[in-house]
Amino acid sequence: MSGTTRGNSERALTDSGEAVTVHGNSEISLTGDCSAVTVLGISGSPHRHGNTETLLEAFLDGARDAGAEVEKVVIKTLIYRSCQGCNACHKDGECILTDDFNTLLERILTVDVLALASPIYSMGITADLKSLIDRAQPYWARKFVLKTLYFDYDHIQSHKGLFISTAGQSWDHVFDGAFPVVNAFFSDMGFEYYDNVIANKMDEYGGIKGHPSALDDAFAKGQKVVRVVEKIRNR
Amino acid sequence: MVIHVLAFATSPRRHGNSETLLDYLLEAMAEEREVAITRHVLGEDIVINPCRGCNACEKLGRCIQTDDDLNDVLEEIVEADCVVLASPIFCMGLCAQAKALVDRAQVFRSRKYVRHEPVVPPHRKEKRIGIFVSTAGQKWDIVFDGAVMSMDCFFHVSDIKKRNMRWLMIDGVDQKGAIEAHPTAKDQAREMGAGVIRELKELKGEV
Repeated sequence: MSGTTRGNSERALTDSGEAVTVHGNSEISLTGDCSAVTVLGISGSPHRHGNTETLLEAFLDGARDAGAEVEKVVIKTLIYRSCQGCNACHKDGECILTDDFNTLLERILTVDVLALASPIYSMGITADLKSLIDRAQPYWARKFVLKTLYFDYDHIQSHKGLFISTAGQSWDHVFDGAFPVVNAFFSDMGFEYYDNVIANKMDEYGGIKGHPSALDDAFAKGQKVVRVVEKIRNR
Repeated sequence: MVIHVLAFATSPRRHGNSETLLDYLLEAMAEEREVAITRHVLGEDIVINPCRGCNACEKLGRCIQTDDDLNDVLEEIVEADCVVLASPIFCMGLCAQAKALVDRAQVFRSRKYVRHEPVVPPHRKEKRIGIFVSTAGQKWDIVFDGAVMSMDCFFHVSDIKKRNMRWLMIDGVDQKGAIEAHPTAKDQAREMGAGVIRELKELKGEV
């Protein structure tokens, strides 16, 4: 992990220092929300353009095809440190570290769909993605300790989180260690844990491109989630 | 013959609950005769970066990252009779620092399953014990499940048999120092520490 930090974080949500409620789209649904659905894909794989990132790309292509505004962030290209466990955020909701993860976490709060991608390493997500998730502790603190952050039902319904993953093993339970971690993160950040885009047996298939259906399924799920969010907005 | 214990304190919070629980365990071990303990604090005594997923270890049998302590640490794990890893639960899993070490044990997996090399000599396989020491703020039934799955992998690739894996996990301790007020944690840790040393001596045929 790089020890270098960069002081470029944005704190749009907390500049006022007041209690922040993130509202859903219920107010604007009267006229219909015409802005494009925004989709953020985060790759936690250290292996560039490998199975997991390729699967994420297919998902993002599907979302783009359905008219979404799509962005991909690769954790490996960022400068960050892991959570220091200092609990300073329990006092003021702010992280003492300032690096690319502050910016990324704030960005996550602005998108409609969040796709978290990680291969399975030792029955869990990679240390890279776990670093990002551990750094979300300030949001947990704002919700449960300081009670300054609250996501209402409409917000959670209209913000969808997907977990995208590949594993070499053929075991059915190979993703089971990752699910609760991802679930906790989506919950902290105001997203409904909507679906998984997962494919195991990568070793058997010789990689994601050898898988009979995974890339097509990912594309279709990318299209579908955009339509679902649009439908909820216009309800 | 000396029993070699290798322990990792992986929490970014120094002297917090998981590290204190580890210390209770190690103190009891140190009171036994002929025990040598090596205790590493991640980020202070040793630096372990995340795995880069390059798979070079499948070809080389070692890691190509040379700017941290991983390759030395792997050899220490091979030499140890008892491997102890202490991690707090962060967001339903190991802390990222611990996960980095666990992911880097991929080198052992490569030796074992790709290169078909022994990780430890066959006669030592049955005589190693792994202990996972953990604390969690939450009290949910499933709070340790994700971490246990990853640790099971870590011990497995380190040639520690399932029956020789021990789990010292205390939930409901959140604030710094909460472990000290826990009614049974210290006793559980001490009992396990002394018990594991006795077991290892039996396994190594010294009792």
